[in-house]
Amino acid sequence: MTTVETFQPYPDELKHGLIIESVSFGYDGTPVLENINLSVREAEFLILLGPSGSGKTTMLRLLAGLETPASGRVICKGKTVECPSTERGMVFQDYTLFPWMNLMDNVILAISKAHPDLDKSSRRHLAEEYLIMVDLYDARQKHPYELSGGMRQRGVLARTLAMGPQFMLMDEPFGALDPINRTRLQDLVLKIWSDASPPKTIVFVTHDTDEALYLGDRVVMLGSNPGRIIAEVSVESPRPRSRHKFFQSRMFQELSDQVLDHFRRDVIDRLESVDTAKGYGEGI
Amino acid sequence: MKETIVRRPSPVDSWSDHHLPQDREKWFAVRLRAIMHGREALILCFLLAVLWQAVSLLSAAQYRFLFPSLIVVAQALWESLPELLRGTYYSFLILVPGYAAAVVAGVAWGILVGTTGWLQRGFTPFARAVAPVPPTVYIPYAIACLSTFRLSAISVVFIGAFWPIFLSTAAGAAAVPGQYRDNARILGLTRVEYLWRVVLPASLPQSFSGIAVGLALSFILLTVAELFGANAGLGRFVQYYADFADYPKMVAGIVYIGLVTFLSMEGLERIRRRALFWVK
Repeated sequence: MTTVETFQPYPDELKHGLIIESVSFGYDGTPVLENINLSVREAEFLILLGPSGSGKTTMLRLLAGLETPASGRVICKGKTVECPSTERGMVFQDYTLFPWMNLMDNVILAISKAHPDLDKSSRRHLAEEYLIMVDLYDARQKHPYELSGGMRQRGVLARTLAMGPQFMLMDEPFGALDPINRTRLQDLVLKIWSDASPPKTIVFVTHDTDEALYLGDRVVMLGSNPGRIIAEVSVESPRPRSRHKFFQSRMFQELSDQVLDHFRRDVIDRLESVDTAKGYGEGI
Repeated sequence: MKETIVRRPSPVDSWSDHHLPQDREKWFAVRLRAIMHGREALILCFLLAVLWQAVSLLSAAQYRFLFPSLIVVAQALWESLPELLRGTYYSFLILVPGYAAAVVAGVAWGILVGTTGWLQRGFTPFARAVAPVPPTVYIPYAIACLSTFRLSAISVVFIGAFWPIFLSTAAGAAAVPGQYRDNARILGLTRVEYLWRVVLPASLPQSFSGIAVGLALSFILLTVAELFGANAGLGRFVQYYADFADYPKMVAGIVYIGLVTFLSMEGLERIRRRALFWVK
């Protein structure tokens, strides 16, 4: 396939990444995101960290193409995102396997869309491979209602992987899990990400600072009302990270303090700005 | 050392066998409840049968022919069983096509209307206006318009069953959770795939309530239509023997229709449970 050579204003490493370019977005006139600029490099593990109401999910939906920005552009591999595509898989907060299909059929559905040319038996075979990858092979005939929360979310992971996406957008995927399952799934995601070839780019939304620092290459912090980027930190810890060592390390402590400090400062800034804007008691 | 605990007996204690000698009446009540548990429906049937027999035996002699006793009716039912079975066949020749068409059309159109904005806005007001019209009023007109009685009866059953099925499916399809829609979009499902593999199963729980109402309505419409102009069928059977004042046979027909309706509804309930195994 030949493509017309177009002018690329972006550095090379972003050619295969995601770019959010001065995007604003609102629901029914309430601004949710204001003038967001963000780029995600190829093969990066990027974390969006912020309190609820900071527009993290909305940002992910914009990246996925589920929403269109009110102004600005979302660019994926040099092209403006207009609608969802199988190259950007999304894992939602709540378990979203179709409950009327068993695990196998859920995964096969994704495969049939990603590889329409495959015949039935190779689709099955491929689906089994993905289920083995998330350690759900034995439960492949089960329906979501028979599975625990952690298993369901692993099933979602298998289905998302089965789409063969270059980008994985994950919206607080482990928010509803117990701590043991959560750590297990975090490590699973890290393994999938580091083993992937061609490399996968992950944008991971969370409100948990520990999770953010442990998983991410870079943590982008969002503030609320309206959602905007307050700061970002890079986590320059070598991989694979050992959970134990990582959380004991000085660097983790410092980063964690930094993150909290950014959020604290943002809250204070907001309070002050409200104070000056409404200094005479309007709006009370 | 053994401890002796002195306490007042609680009401719960007195219900156990342990306290049998002291409280014979309560023991009896508890035992009776235990025996009846799970058999309530059977017992009610038995009591109704006794009541029926009593009413028939106690009614004044000149009215007795109106209230044939259970045994007489049972006998009549047995005698006319071949006729009733043939009637069932003719009735089902009307019911099955009409109802099946209503299920297919109601579900398909409901899914389409429930998920398509402009169709929903356009069709819903019309549906609201037309659906409440009692479908029985179409019967004379259908008989006048259509060439055969069977065809007109089928179309009346269809119209009657269509509306509840359509309305419940459309409501279900319109209320498909947003996460399923997002998921379908992320997976890249086409519209047809989305409707067939996501909206249809997702709205099935609601559809089934309409499908059940539609089946009950179908039986009503079927028998009413047969009162108008059939020469065979279940409703016709009842009408025919009522005309001859053969009340045992007429009542037998009513009982039989009740049985057929009950079994059909039970069958549907089984299908529902099987189709909706994933609803927890």
